[in-house]
Amino acid sequence: MTKFYEGMAEIFEVEPADITPQFELSNASADWDSLAIVSTIALVDDCFNVTLDGEALAACTTIGDIEALVAKAGKE
Amino acid sequence: MSLPIGRETAVSGARIAGVVSCVPSRQLTNAHFGEMFGQDKVDDVIKMIGVQTRRWTDATTTTRDLCRNAGLHLLAGLGWEADSVDALIFVSQTPDFRLPATACALQADLGISPNCIAFDINLGCSGYPYALWLGMTMVQTGAARRVLLAVGDTISKIVDPSDRATALLFGDAGTVTAIEAGEADERAHFILGSDGRGATNLIVPKGGFKDYSLSNDPRLADKDAACLYMDGGQIFNFTLRSVPPLVARTAEYAGTPIEEHDYFLFHQANLFMLKHLAKKAKLAPEKTPFNIDQYGNTSCASIPLLMTTSIAEQLKTRRCKLGLIGFGVGYSWASASLSVGPLAVAETIEQ
Repeated sequence: MTKFYEGMAEIFEVEPADITPQFELSNASADWDSLAIVSTIALVDDCFNVTLDGEALAACTTIGDIEALVAKAGKE
Repeated sequence: MSLPIGRETAVSGARIAGVVSCVPSRQLTNAHFGEMFGQDKVDDVIKMIGVQTRRWTDATTTTRDLCRNAGLHLLAGLGWEADSVDALIFVSQTPDFRLPATACALQADLGISPNCIAFDINLGCSGYPYALWLGMTMVQTGAARRVLLAVGDTISKIVDPSDRATALLFGDAGTVTAIEAGEADERAHFILGSDGRGATNLIVPKGGFKDYSLSNDPRLADKDAACLYMDGGQIFNFTLRSVPPLVARTAEYAGTPIEEHDYFLFHQANLFMLKHLAKKAKLAPEKTPFNIDQYGNTSCASIPLLMTTSIAEQLKTRRCKLGLIGFGVGYSWASASLSVGPLAVAETIEQ
């Protein structure tokens, strides 16, 4: 998960240590907008070789939600 | 779910003789958009799309004008009499009129004889490999000895100036490529495909004969239906799913391993996406030139524009094995693996 957390930290412009499963995707300093979603699709593809659906990703509210989506997609 | 890769077909006995791109002289840098959107927002988008500057036409110049200039320059450079051109195909989504076809106007503009096959094709990002396949097939069958492919777009005219996702992304360019008879034993390999289930993800909802803005698609609420709408996430997903297997299969079908191609010219969709695709296909950066930083996403013109901006010297001096990869609006995609050069003409000019 390290590479994924580092990538998410880069997308949100925070320290990697700040990224936890509870991290809120829409927060005081960032929006969970289309740019962040597209970046996350590429990151997940890089890290897990899984292509997430944009709409499902947009519905996520925390890092934990994304991880659950990756786990589900990986099983399909 | 994986998308089908496409229809595979090979053409022999035809070659590219030359290519000229014409871009508007009017240049818009990112600073131009700072006032409208705020510099922070512009910087966010630029980080993703990688466009530093783009060329936009003025109000009166159209794709046809850019292609006319490119075509005249190309004919002169090749020393081709206009009357020796048997077919002219115009590939664009920004024709002069809904009717008549712009290819007919261009036939007259270029002084080509009326004994000329001329028609339009409505394709965007995938249009160049499609046009090459068709033009080379026409030469192979003997239907035409010399074919001009006028491939270009002026998407600046249909972007919503208040939509930063598209206003910052696109640039204008018109190109013309000349095709004539070539070596009988040299084959060009193509893969061509479509998936209309993605039609509404990149669309101008209104202006044809159906009004998609009446469809209650929530994504179009508060959008100008006469302007280009793009669902960036969906397009990105489509690209990630379809392009890497298309690259792999193109090399396999052509019998030329990826590493034996001199260059892969990708439609210049978005810099972040291009870098991701190149990495995924394990392509060396020097084999995947880009010009989106200088010209933006120029729709169907992006691949021939790369030929004249990024690898013109190589194409003029030697024979290069190229992989061409176009993908996007439709959805539609097309690839080619072929040898090109040495070309008598490979040049970018300004309107």
